[in-house]
Amino acid sequence: MTATESLCPVCLARLPARREAVGEDGWLVRTCPEHGEFRARYWHGPPGPAGWDRPKIAPSGTAAAGTAPGEGCPYVCGLCPEHSQRTCTVVFEVTGRCNLGCPVCFADAGTGFDPDPTLAALETRLIRARRAAGPANIQISGGEPTLRADLPDIVALAKAAGFPFVQLNTNGLALAADPALAGRLAAAGLDSVFLQCDGVTDAAHVALRGRGLVREKRAALDACAAAGLGVVLVATLVPGVNAGEVGDLVRLAASLAPGVRGVHFQPAAHFGRYPGNGDSAPRLTLPEVMAALEAQTGGMVRAEDLHPPCCEHSLCSFSATYRVLPGGRLALAGSGGCCDKTAIPAEEGARQSMAFVARQWGAAKPVPAPEAIKDDFDRFLAAAAATPTLSISAMAFMDAWTLDLERARGCCIHVAVPDGRLIPFCLYNLTAADGAALYRRKSCA
Amino acid sequence: MNDTPIYLPESGDWQCAACGQDLVPAPVGVTYLQGGFTITLMTCPACHLSLVPEFLAVGKMFEVEQLLEDK
Repeated sequence: MTATESLCPVCLARLPARREAVGEDGWLVRTCPEHGEFRARYWHGPPGPAGWDRPKIAPSGTAAAGTAPGEGCPYVCGLCPEHSQRTCTVVFEVTGRCNLGCPVCFADAGTGFDPDPTLAALETRLIRARRAAGPANIQISGGEPTLRADLPDIVALAKAAGFPFVQLNTNGLALAADPALAGRLAAAGLDSVFLQCDGVTDAAHVALRGRGLVREKRAALDACAAAGLGVVLVATLVPGVNAGEVGDLVRLAASLAPGVRGVHFQPAAHFGRYPGNGDSAPRLTLPEVMAALEAQTGGMVRAEDLHPPCCEHSLCSFSATYRVLPGGRLALAGSGGCCDKTAIPAEEGARQSMAFVARQWGAAKPVPAPEAIKDDFDRFLAAAAATPTLSISAMAFMDAWTLDLERARGCCIHVAVPDGRLIPFCLYNLTAADGAALYRRKSCA
Repeated sequence: MNDTPIYLPESGDWQCAACGQDLVPAPVGVTYLQGGFTITLMTCPACHLSLVPEFLAVGKMFEVEQLLEDK
């Protein structure tokens, strides 16, 4: 049992909490004086949470938990002195509009009528975000960013502001409808597309997005490949809906490598817009995704291949990188496997993670011409370039029921909000049982 | 006979700080995971520590190490 802090999912009051281990399961438990006890399972199955650890050494000057000013963590984000990890990815929302009306949406997009910020306002915000975050990666998000006709200009401004790796978070509909758009974005400096793709069947898209989208996803993939953009397939996973398609998604990604650079799974969290009741809803935890990967790929991806992150809190994600062999077979790349448990400085973990993301999720390096190979180092690099690689990863977002403030303080994915603050992704999107947001301003009709 | 690629510092006479001996070219094994190859580096004949020139350390060697780095 370990101690942490959490919130009451009803009133969002901060509460002392504990992580209870029951077999190979992990439960987050706390009691609100007004609303009673809440128990949320955040980990289910092997490997149990106890051994899943890659500790980070917080930067010097990080304040002890409980010392943040005013109301304290998590109410004074921006970031506060208790935060123990720097920004590795700035999430930058450029519109609240959307061309889908998904039943599941962490941003609850498309429900308001706020006008889009002007390009000049975004430029100012990008410069401010870069100053606050340092040399981090950036993900342009929304809403659906491709609804903005000036999206290539926004990409160029992000590059000019000093973000070395620029990624677009999109449903891909505009990329499919206008195949030239991918080329315009690439020319503006876009490196990578985080393409929402919840499965290989129309049924998965109908359930999560409201209509069949397989044909459009494929057209978007083709357009991105033609434009030389790296693509990551991103699936929101819901138990009983599309969790049975993780193996097929891996096979699809492998068949499209090196155009597709990774598959990233996001078990649905209960914030923003989601069906059902957050208290009783089934949650898919990271070890369940690991088990599904192993079972559905016939052991080509093994749970033991997957390791905890070097940047964010250990309980928040897993990943592994594979070489894609002929016939779509996967072979674990590098030394692989879990895991180096030596504590590393948080800053060094962030550096490694940012460099890896830029390298793996951007376009693949071309294979060098034979005449450019001068020595064994060149031969090693050429051999590596000749075999595509594919990353397989997952991130477990926290909602009001699963929120663990130690994890939130170790977060490296920060939303750059309009007033200039950087707020950890889960805290920014967190909503209470009645839908009230901790941070995100609800767009009003 | 040593016919491996030679990576020498761009200038200067180099001595081993620990042993005081002049460095001499010598074959050195470079190992990455299960694979590897041999190169020639300036090496201390006493303690066998080698000098990796800066252009190699921040160039091709860095590129190869980046390939092996995960997140």
